[in-house]
Amino acid sequence: MSIVALELKSITKSFPQRELLRGVDLALQSSNSYVLTGDNGCGKTTLMRIVAGLEPASGGAMRFEGVAIDLRRYPETLRRMLVYVHQQPYLFHTSIAHNIAYGLKMRGVPKHQRELLVGEAIAWAGVGHLTDVLPHKLSGGEKQRVALARAKVLRPRLMLLDEPTANLDSDARRQTLALIETLRHEDVTVMIASHDREIIAMPHVERLHLEAGRVSAA
Amino acid sequence: MDLLEPTRYAFYLLFTGDPALWRIIFTSLYCSLAAIALIAPPAVALGFLIAIVSFPGRRALVVFSQALLSFPTVVVGLVIYMLLSRQGPLGFLKLLFTPEAIIIGYMVIAFPVLVVFTLSAVQGADPRVHETARSLGARRLRAAWTTLFEVRFGVMAAVVNSFGRVVSEVGCAIMVGGNIAGLTRNIPTAIALETSKGEFAQGIALGFVLIVLALGVNVALSVPQGEGGMK
Repeated sequence: MSIVALELKSITKSFPQRELLRGVDLALQSSNSYVLTGDNGCGKTTLMRIVAGLEPASGGAMRFEGVAIDLRRYPETLRRMLVYVHQQPYLFHTSIAHNIAYGLKMRGVPKHQRELLVGEAIAWAGVGHLTDVLPHKLSGGEKQRVALARAKVLRPRLMLLDEPTANLDSDARRQTLALIETLRHEDVTVMIASHDREIIAMPHVERLHLEAGRVSAA
Repeated sequence: MDLLEPTRYAFYLLFTGDPALWRIIFTSLYCSLAAIALIAPPAVALGFLIAIVSFPGRRALVVFSQALLSFPTVVVGLVIYMLLSRQGPLGFLKLLFTPEAIIIGYMVIAFPVLVVFTLSAVQGADPRVHETARSLGARRLRAAWTTLFEVRFGVMAAVVNSFGRVVSEVGCAIMVGGNIAGLTRNIPTAIALETSKGEFAQGIALGFVLIVLALGVNVALSVPQGEGGMK
């Protein structure tokens, strides 16, 4: 039986000149994948950032795996259950391995176990040949793959991917799509904000559409 | 003016280990490094806090800190002199004309440099650094530390810049140190004194040391930066 991983009720977000989200209701089933579509500037990123605790909502309620979340005092424990990946991910000025290990370190994972998990994540993302390359020398696609590995290695309950294939060339896009495809076999709920037709057309992905500040099934 | 002979003699003094000359170099290094070591942690922390925390009067504090950058060092010396002089409120400490008085002066001079450069480095940091750290599970303090680590080369530049400012400072060091041979005479005050006496050899030797120090510190900074400030 599938349980609800994330439930949003009447989420609103207003700016002085504009009401961006006008009461978003949303329920994501655990371990399912979703793609969130919508015009540029319609609030997809803002919605994901609210869920990730990176931006406050103006109103509304959120439940995660059945537990009510106080959006005004976003719980630290929830930060360790979900992970948000920027459209253009930021990699810390250190090695790829240290980047991937960062979240594990924050969770107090012992060094020997960290090394093992990082090795697996590097292999999963296919960036083993880049371990000696500094982050600023990586291409957009390589950065995206490292960021995905850095997120996946944490085994989060929910992954929020913001336009993961935007601005990538065809090869990089194909490689990123292949990684996203493999996430369906993981025990993780995935929400992807995207315009990418190939992601939208993925058979296992449920489609959601954000328009006029509200989310509907597409 | 024949500069060749004094220059030759300067290097002779330097490389034969002339005790008076090396005492001056030691005093300079001791006072500068001690001052930076003592003031850098609180100044960097303050610069970082001003950059990330919003509070009433923040803008005024930033402007004040920036204004302190152009504060004449000789005035810093004058204020500290008045504070430490026998009749001053801190006269009981008996620090006037000691290396410690110079260290206090240097700390005051270095403070705004460290605060403003750190503030500037942190404000220039990519906002995604903090968000990425938080999203990966770092708590607030740890994410702040990660941000500071990401701008470490800017912070190191602040430290080097403040070191450069104090190691070459004359006015404050003469006022509160008194330029006492073997005790508070340092490289810049010695150069000023020797040149005024027409003794160029020691001045040239010390000038050479000062330049080597400045270059050395900058090279030391550039080595860990590698290419483009990356590890």
